[in-house]
Amino acid sequence: MNLSESKDFVVDSSNLKEVRTFSREVFEKINLPQEQKDELVLAIAEAAQNIVKHAYKDVEETTDAMQIKISLKDGELEIGFFDKGKPVVPENIQHRKLDDIKPGGLGTFFIKQIMDGAVFKKDQKGWVNHLVLTKKI
Amino acid sequence: MTYKVTDEGNISTVFLNGEIDMDVAEKAKEVILPLVEAGKEVHLNLKDVSYMDSSGISVLIESHQKALEKSTKVIVKEVSKSVLKVIMMAKLEQILNLE
Repeated sequence: MNLSESKDFVVDSSNLKEVRTFSREVFEKINLPQEQKDELVLAIAEAAQNIVKHAYKDVEETTDAMQIKISLKDGELEIGFFDKGKPVVPENIQHRKLDDIKPGGLGTFFIKQIMDGAVFKKDQKGWVNHLVLTKKI
Repeated sequence: MTYKVTDEGNISTVFLNGEIDMDVAEKAKEVILPLVEAGKEVHLNLKDVSYMDSSGISVLIESHQKALEKSTKVIVKEVSKSVLKVIMMAKLEQILNLE
């Protein structure tokens, strides 16, 4: 089965629930164990949260949208995140060490645990950042 | 997210309901941390929490650490399967008081 669906969301933490709803609706169309669907929703929500928290850090309110595109082709799931926030420096992204118990720093770790790949691409047209998460399913 | 708090002696039980994400994490902390600050033993009942992300996990860590500072404890109770999975992914099942 192949599919490709995308949706724009205003960059705001109040829209993260809508991001999860969109993701769940798309994954309903794919034959996967519920546990794996839940993990994928978590990875998408964490990546969207990173846009709100980091790409739009210190921005009180914005009308900017982020776009999330979920595609499945030949058993490869590709999830694209486009935003117009501060440029991300991929080398600066790191999760905290797990034995350093403190609040925060786990979102990127969850994404890496769940997905096979996470790369920032330079092909964004009209966007600033383009993160692509991939997973064989 | 909605919540309910019940008190019995020095134990406050916080029943959280819904999804705990970045948008509601501050609200959850505003409910839990003052109870811990007051030296209460806090039982966090998560049976009606259907989803939790890293922001929710941060609430659990911060509550647990604040309780240690105040020589009391936070006990996390009736964790749903999906939330337990996230706690385990963060390798916190041996750190938090889970019941």
